[in-house]
Amino acid sequence: MAAPRRNTELGLLLLVVLITGGAYALAVLGKDSEIPANIGPFLGFVLGLLLVAHIVVRRLAPNADATLLPLAGLLNGLGYVVIARINERLAWQQAAWTAFGIALFCITLLVVKRARDLSNYRWTFALLGIILLLVPLAPGIGREYRSGSRIWVSFGSMSFQPGEFAKIALALFFASYLVEKRELLGMSSRRVGPVNLPDPKHMAPVLLAWATTLIVMFYEKDLGSALLFFALFIAMLWIATQRGTFLAVGVTLFAIGAYFAYKAFAHVQTRVAIWIDPWKDAKGDGYQIVEAAFAMASGGIGGTGLGLSGKIGIPEAESDFIFAIIAEELGLLGSLLVLVAFLLIVGAGLRIAVRSTHAFDKLLAAGLTTLLGIQAFIIIGGVTRLLPLTGVTLPFVSYGGSSLVANYVLLALLLRISDDSAVSSASSAARSGPRSKVPQPAGSSS
Amino acid sequence: MNKQIRHLGIFLTICYLALFVKLNQVQVFGADELNNHPENARVIQREYNRPRGVITSADGALLAQSVHVEGKSFDRQRTYPEADLFGQVTGYYSFVYGATGVEKTYDDELAGATFQQQLNGIADMFVDKENVGNVQLTLRKDLQVAARDALGPREGSIVALDPRTGEILAFWSYPSYDPNLLSDLDTDATKINWDALNAAPGKPLQAHQYQERYFPGSTFKVVTSGVGLQSGKVTPDDPVYPSAQKYLPPQTTRPIFNFGGETCGGALFEILAVSCNSAFAKMGTETIGPAAMIDGAQAFGFNSRPPIDLPAPAASSFPTDFTDNLPILAQSSIGQNEVQATPLQMALVAAGVANKGVIMKPHVLSQITDSEGRVVKKYEPEQWLQPMSAPAAATLREAMKGVVTKGTGVPAQVPGVEVAGKTGTAQLGDGKKVHTWMVAFAGPPGGDPEVAVSVVVLNQPASNEFTGGQVAGPIAAKMMKATLDARRADSGTPIVVPPTTRAPSVSGAGNGTGAGAGTGAGDGATPPSTPTTRRNDAAVPTTSSITTVPAGPPGTTH
Repeated sequence: MAAPRRNTELGLLLLVVLITGGAYALAVLGKDSEIPANIGPFLGFVLGLLLVAHIVVRRLAPNADATLLPLAGLLNGLGYVVIARINERLAWQQAAWTAFGIALFCITLLVVKRARDLSNYRWTFALLGIILLLVPLAPGIGREYRSGSRIWVSFGSMSFQPGEFAKIALALFFASYLVEKRELLGMSSRRVGPVNLPDPKHMAPVLLAWATTLIVMFYEKDLGSALLFFALFIAMLWIATQRGTFLAVGVTLFAIGAYFAYKAFAHVQTRVAIWIDPWKDAKGDGYQIVEAAFAMASGGIGGTGLGLSGKIGIPEAESDFIFAIIAEELGLLGSLLVLVAFLLIVGAGLRIAVRSTHAFDKLLAAGLTTLLGIQAFIIIGGVTRLLPLTGVTLPFVSYGGSSLVANYVLLALLLRISDDSAVSSASSAARSGPRSKVPQPAGSSS
Repeated sequence: MNKQIRHLGIFLTICYLALFVKLNQVQVFGADELNNHPENARVIQREYNRPRGVITSADGALLAQSVHVEGKSFDRQRTYPEADLFGQVTGYYSFVYGATGVEKTYDDELAGATFQQQLNGIADMFVDKENVGNVQLTLRKDLQVAARDALGPREGSIVALDPRTGEILAFWSYPSYDPNLLSDLDTDATKINWDALNAAPGKPLQAHQYQERYFPGSTFKVVTSGVGLQSGKVTPDDPVYPSAQKYLPPQTTRPIFNFGGETCGGALFEILAVSCNSAFAKMGTETIGPAAMIDGAQAFGFNSRPPIDLPAPAASSFPTDFTDNLPILAQSSIGQNEVQATPLQMALVAAGVANKGVIMKPHVLSQITDSEGRVVKKYEPEQWLQPMSAPAAATLREAMKGVVTKGTGVPAQVPGVEVAGKTGTAQLGDGKKVHTWMVAFAGPPGGDPEVAVSVVVLNQPASNEFTGGQVAGPIAAKMMKATLDARRADSGTPIVVPPTTRAPSVSGAGNGTGAGAGTGAGDGATPPSTPTTRRNDAAVPTTSSITTVPAGPPGTTH
């Protein structure tokens, strides 16, 4: 049963390598009018990394979903090609981070034999998550970002965002806690207005953790992560308890919170103002959004061609606005390709969640998928002016080591869950034996 | 939990659907609006960074090219090695001010953006080749230099073209401008230059040779004659206009006087040679009549824009309604009052007569080649108008020869060459200044004319020394000689100089037609005191094909 999936994966990976290689060649062709000299080594590097990941998956999670790794590889490769066109130095770094990410991917698969083993460490993860979130606030090693958000930590010349890992840690915590307490949370013991709420003592820890994270994020002015986190929590709570009330309450709380944030914080007001009409301050605050809009429009349907988008850059083109560059150079076709890739990832992730047999696996898979899917949605929405702009990265595509590595770890967890559920359903099918007309006793089900 | 997970999936799908719709809106449906947004520099930027082909003259001079620059806001700068010599033809290519001239008309071809070039470009995708078009013009640098030198620092225009094909060979106006001043990448500098050029006297940014209109004066009598001959109402022998000093049009008491108050009259060839206002005013008003004059003038291209491949050509104008306004018709018939013509238009008129009655489409493009020299597109000569039949044109050609052999156009003679033409001295406003014109065509004796020229020198003092023949005639002669010499040099055949026969001598005194009065200005002739013109030169031949010109007895005015 392992062979067909892994073979599919291998085939897809080879396709990804070809596409990435072709894109790289076109990008350099467009920029310097010549085929890149290092196309051979480059292709070798990409192929090598993906093959290593593939072999590890073949050995450690042979029954896992076949599309996730190729999709991630495609997005990563596409992002790398665009970054290489923008800034060669950053491209080197991104390549290094990719290698590191694949390494951690393999290590995660190695270390985590069963996803639900992780649920034993729930408080560890909770603490770890909060610490990771707080670290950038520490004087000395914390660094304030240009837009005023303080989410970076630097040691000498290296810098990373602990927040990216915090999200995974906290997702693990939520999954574990909610699975255990879901029955209790599902019961109502109080009525507040029209709503039935569960016993506060059960809600308390998770509410506390959640509130803390939100406050920290607000303090660090990382509104994108705050939004993402909020969405994660509400989604997991709702899935775990299966109570729509939580959804309604959550959305209301969000609306209230957003309103207060708007009133209280000047930079929130700025963000909303340039969302509604960036041209009012086209040279100042609105510059990024305006240039992104022009870039995407000039791409049209077919794009201007890789490497040919001209000299007017967009600030943060390599990270937050990389999507705008892809939309410009590859046109609507390119931007839809990215959109579809993320949609497919979401689909695969949720499929893994549905097929999982253990509640923790289900919840964790759903949560991790939500993280990826909503993050991509938030940043693409911000760049296209569907939503106000927030500073989150486009997973796998944007320049940013922490995000890349954390997402590869996330991917590994998803593949682990996928493998688990495939194995257990296979073994349950084996256990229930051949079908017969006589109904078997109940013990044969898993 | 599965149910909730599935619902979550639906929610996320809806979110992405919203993104899909938004992307379509930004990149497809709303894209035009964004691309044309005033603050959007991307599209223009990309255009200006694209490789661009060169513009060359017919004799291989480099007129425009894009050179790589470092450290500036763009990769390439457009430079014009010939500076202002071809400024009005190539136009400029500026980030701030756009493009004019050939840079504008052939913008797509130069950038390699035409469909044909893109198609060709696909095959060369993996070859290191710039997909641009190189534009070769019909203009020649040597002739353009000749034009510039002949005109000198006087305001005016010179147009020289090949009547058989419509190819423009020289196209010059003074003052001209240096397009380098506007194609600089330093926007502050270009702004200063732009303001200076716009404020400069003589409006150098305007290509006067085809964008500015002037009173054509007596050169318009070619059109009047042409219309008359074509309609059959005028023949070489009939009508014979009475000798008169003036002509009184119907509906008015103000007569039209002949130049210098002279008396003139006779049949077509005579009156054309001396440029008799009274006769032509009468011809237009009475012999031909308003409707036929309007149709006829329009058949020569008036009231239409010439289909030249340069931007914004001006249409020369001839009034279209003479009801109760016959005095205007009378004056229009001699090229005054409401007739306005561009130098290009008058050159086309001459070209039409030269080319057996067919005016070819004027063009500056010769061909477009790719970066390997293969021809991508050639301009095939095409007919524009046919105002006259071949026989009528032949008659008019003979009449115009007479102007040059023994009439007001004698300064335009070129040894060994058959020249025909018409002079013009258009009076301006208060009579203190005139525009001096010469339209002419020339070719080997006995052969088809190979070059047609139109020369106008503006704002000359109104006096006997400054008439069309005297001022513009020699310039026209220089242009025609230079063109034919260049052609011979190209093809290697020497100019044929047939044996000389003496032209009938003209007495000095009888030649004068004095300064005109009233709003009409006749055509000037050389004053008696300067016998240095070529008509006294014994080497000037008359071709034997002039048989219809009646040899005038001594004393007849020419």
